[in-house]
Amino acid sequence: MEKRESLWEAYLRRGLSRRSFLKGCVTLTSLMGLSTDMFSKVVEAAETKPLPVVIWIHGHECTGCDESFIRSASPLASDLVLTNIALEYDHLLSAACGAPFEAHLDETITKYYGNYILCVEGAVATKESGVHCMSGGHTFLHLLDKAAKGAAAIIAYGSCSAYGGIQAAAPNPTGSAGIEHFVGGKPVVKVPGCPPIPEVMTGVVMHVALFGSVPPLDGDGRPKQFFGNRIHDTCYRRPFFDAGMFAETYDDAGSKAGWCLYKLGCRGPETYNSCGNLRWWQGMSYPIQSGAACIGCSNAHFWDEVPFSARLPQYGKIGDADKIGVALGVMTAAGVGAHAVASIIQRNSRDNLLEEEHDDK
Amino acid sequence: MKSVREVKRKEYYIFSPFLRIFHWIMAAMIVVLFITGLLITKPMNVSTTEPFFTITSMDLVRDIHFTAAFILCASLILRIYGFIVNKGDRLFPRVWEGHFYEETVDVALHYMLLKPHHASFLRNPLARMSYAALYAFLAIEILTGFAMYFMTNPSGVGGKLFGWVNTVLGSEMMSHYVHHYVAWFIILFAIGHIYMVIRAEFMEGESEVSSMFSGKKILAHTPKDAKELE
Ligand code: HEM
Ligand code: HEM
Ligand code: SF4
Ligand code: SF4
Repeated sequence: MEKRESLWEAYLRRGLSRRSFLKGCVTLTSLMGLSTDMFSKVVEAAETKPLPVVIWIHGHECTGCDESFIRSASPLASDLVLTNIALEYDHLLSAACGAPFEAHLDETITKYYGNYILCVEGAVATKESGVHCMSGGHTFLHLLDKAAKGAAAIIAYGSCSAYGGIQAAAPNPTGSAGIEHFVGGKPVVKVPGCPPIPEVMTGVVMHVALFGSVPPLDGDGRPKQFFGNRIHDTCYRRPFFDAGMFAETYDDAGSKAGWCLYKLGCRGPETYNSCGNLRWWQGMSYPIQSGAACIGCSNAHFWDEVPFSARLPQYGKIGDADKIGVALGVMTAAGVGAHAVASIIQRNSRDNLLEEEHDDK
Repeated sequence: MKSVREVKRKEYYIFSPFLRIFHWIMAAMIVVLFITGLLITKPMNVSTTEPFFTITSMDLVRDIHFTAAFILCASLILRIYGFIVNKGDRLFPRVWEGHFYEETVDVALHYMLLKPHHASFLRNPLARMSYAALYAFLAIEILTGFAMYFMTNPSGVGGKLFGWVNTVLGSEMMSHYVHHYVAWFIILFAIGHIYMVIRAEFMEGESEVSSMFSGKKILAHTPKDAKELE
C-alpha cells in the first residue's frame, strides 16, 4: 500500500497556511460535538492520520441525502470531499463512469481491504432477489455485500439506509429494508433523517476518519451527540407547549405568533435529531421554526405513521381512536343496560319459580 | 316475596386490606390518568399573548398524569404484598386446570341469559380472566408510559430500563398509539366490570359490591373454588 497523506500534508501540498489548517481543526472539533479540550487531539490526528479512503454507495433512494450533503457549510462539502477524505468511489459525485469506474471500485476494495470507510445511502430492495435496485449490472444487495466485507466502518446515511425509508412504506412492494441485516453482522452507524442535517453527515464521517473509531452510539446505533435528544426537548417553541398555547390551523393567529405546532401533528415529542439545536443551513432555521410541524423524518416507520397533520391515525369517515372509543363506550353502556333489563326479568321469573317450589312444599 | 326470610349463608373472608386499598387507589388513578391522558393528546388551548401569563396548563396536566402514574405504580406494592400474605388475593384464572373451561362455558351461558344460574364461585372464571386482562392492560400502560416518559434522557437509567419498549413496538410514536388505544380498552373494561359487580349484587344478593370494602362475601352455596382459601 502506498503512503497516504494526512490532512496536514494535504493542506501543505495545496499551499494552505498552518493558520487555515488550525481553523479547519477548530471547525471539525465543534462539528463532531467534542469539547474544546479535545482540540489538541484533533490537531494531532489531522497531522498524522492518513486521509481515510471512503467508498460511498447508493441504493434504493432519491439521493436527497446527497442534496443535503453537498450543502454542508462547515466544513464545505467540497473541502471534505477534496481535502479531508479520499473519496474513491461515489455513484453520484464521481466524474468517471462505466466499466472502468466499476473496475476502480473492485481495485479500491482489494487495495484498502479492511481499511476503508463504507458510506451507504438508500435502502436494500430485498424482494425478487433484489432486482428492484440494480447498479453496474448487479443487485444493490450484491454490491453492499461485496463492499461491506472489507469495510473498517459502515455508516448508514439517511432513514432509507437506516430503516428502509419511504419505499418501505406499506405495502412495501420492493421489500425495502435498512442495511443493518445485510452487511454480514458488522455494526452500522445510523445517521437517519430524510435527509440528515448536512453538518451531521460530515461530522460523523470526520469522526470516524480522524479517530479511527465510531462516535459514542445509542442503543439503536445512532451517534449520541446528534441523536441524543428529542426535537421537543430542544425546541424553542416548547414554552408554548407547556403553557397550552397551540396553533390550531396553519393560518390562525397562533400559527402566526409562533405557538406550538403539537395540534397540527408535530412529531417533535418522539423524534431524535439535531434540528432543534444545530438547525439547518448553518443554524438559519429548521422546519418548526419555519412554521411546519415536524414529521419525524429521522424515525423508523415515520412514513407509515400518518396523517402527519394529526396526533392520532384517522380511520376514514369514522375518525380517530377517540371517536371510536366513545362509540364503543356508548355501545357497551347500551349493551350493559339491555343486559340489565333482561337480567332483572330473568331473576324475577327464576324467583317466582323458587317461590312456587317453596309453596308446593 | 316475603320481606323477612331466614336463610343460611356462609361468610368467606377473601380480600386482604392491602388488595382493597390497592383496588380503590387504582380505580381513582385510572379515572385521573384517563382524563389527563386524553387531554394530553387533545389539549385545551389557552389564548393569551405570552406563555408567562398562563398557568402552564399543559405542563400541569402532564404533571398530574405522571403523579397519578407514580401513585398507581407505587400502590402495586400493596397488591403484591397482599398476594404474598393472603390466599384470597390469588384468585387468578387457573387455565391449567381442566374444569376451568367447562366452568367458563357454564358461566358464559348464564351471562348470555340461556341458563338461569351458574354455579357458585368465590370468583367465577370469566371474572378471573377479565381481571387478568386488566392487569395485562396495566402492564402495557406502565411499560409504554415509562418508555415515553424516560426518553427525555435516553442514556439515563430509566431510558435504559424502558427504552427497549419503543424498539420492540417499532418506534416511539407507536408507543403513543398503543398507550392511547389500551387506555380505551381499560375504560371499556371498567364499564363492563362495574356493571357485572352491581349485577352480581342484585342477582344473587351475596354482598358482591361490599366485598371490595369489607373483604368478605356471604354466599348461599358452597363455592366450587372454596378450597383455594385453605
Ligand atoms: C365503582 C367502581 C367499582 C366497584 C364497585 C368495584 C368493585 C369490585 C369488586 C367487588 C371486586 C371483586 C370482584 C370479585 O372478586 O368477584 C373488584 C375486583 C377488581 N376490580 Fe373493581 N370495582 C370498581 C371499579 C374498578 C375499576 C375502575 C377498575 C379498573 C379499571 C377495577 C378493577 C378491578 C380489578 C383488577 C379487580 C380484581 C382484583 C384482584 O383480585 O386482583 N375496579 N372490583
Ligand atoms: C392506566 C393507566 C394509564 C392510562 C389510562 C393512561 C392514559 C394516557 C393517554 C390516553 C395518553 C395520551 C397518549 C397520546 O396520545 O400521546 C397518555 C400519555 C402519556 N402517559 Fe399515560 N396512561 C396511563 C399510565 C401511564 C403511566 C404508568 C405512565 C408512566 C409514567 C404514563 C406516562 C405517559 C406519558 C409519558 C404520556 C405522553 C405524554 C406526552 O406525550 O406529552 N402513563 N396516557
Ligand atoms: S412545535 Fe413540536 S417540537 Fe416544538 S414544542 Fe411544539 S410539539 Fe414540541
Ligand atoms: S424537524 Fe423533524 S421532520 Fe423536519 S427535518 Fe427535523 S426531524 Fe425531520
